[in-house]
Amino acid sequence: MPSDYESDPAVSNLRNYLRIRSVQPNVNYDECLTYLRGQAAELGLPVQVFEPRPRKPILVMTWEGLEPALPSVLLNSHMDVVPVFEKSWTFPPFEAHLENGVIYGRGAQDMKSVAIQYIEAVRRLKAEGIRLKRTLHLSFVPDEEIGGGPGMSQFVKTEDFKKLNIGFALDEGIASATDEYLIFNAERNIWHMTVVCPGK
Amino acid sequence: KLDSTNPFWEAFKAAADELKLKLDCRIFPGGTDSRYVRQVGIPALGFSPMNDTPVLLHDHDEFLSADIFLKGIDIYVKLLTAVANV
Ligand SMILES: [Zn+2]
Repeated sequence: MPSDYESDPAVSNLRNYLRIRSVQPNVNYDECLTYLRGQAAELGLPVQVFEPRPRKPILVMTWEGLEPALPSVLLNSHMDVVPVFEKSWTFPPFEAHLENGVIYGRGAQDMKSVAIQYIEAVRRLKAEGIRLKRTLHLSFVPDEEIGGGPGMSQFVKTEDFKKLNIGFALDEGIASATDEYLIFNAERNIWHMTVVCPGK
Repeated sequence: KLDSTNPFWEAFKAAADELKLKLDCRIFPGGTDSRYVRQVGIPALGFSPMNDTPVLLHDHDEFLSADIFLKGIDIYVKLLTAVANV
């Protein structure tokens, strides 16, 4: 465990993303896009930006796998965050204040942390010279917090989305106050499966 | 085409077991973008590697400890490797 979080590049990266005020309503996603393009450039990954609705961009970074014809894996996160009632905050919600090893900020849990974790995991794998079999697509979508109407709900209907040839997707869960990790799976007829969770 | 067993889930679960993660599986409340992905027939899991963390999404003083955040990166390194190598 690093003891100096201030100088940890992954922590800094998260804090920089938290400082972007992609707060509902009427989010301007330009700053997120600039930031994410910078991340992709550092990772050496190509970027596509789709706009099924004007001003509602979806940015996709792609790390091609060794067998790119296989269905890919989608790592999805939303760029927007819910509003704040600033007076109730101990620290300003878009300052990404770090104190005693804790990062405070709107989006720290929901879900800018996950977006940066995807990026940092890919960064580490690439740095180790690892290649994966399947292509990974990292998607960053708008307006999840207002129902995803102009964002993901539109994107999944497009040819551009179909072309990503996605076989499996990860998206946000939720924090757990215990030592267990929460995981959510659909139960309806889309996905029949048997889930055996130990410890229950 | 998905059968009674999903190879991606199997890989995810195996990697989680290897990391000794205790998973608590639940039915998705249906509030996120995963529902649109599932609607077009793609299996999706909702997972944020945040245990030992009070649930503060949408609340004031939302926070995440740097330790949990960094551990989450280690977790994704394993999980992504597993699901992308299915
Ligand atoms: Zn969210």
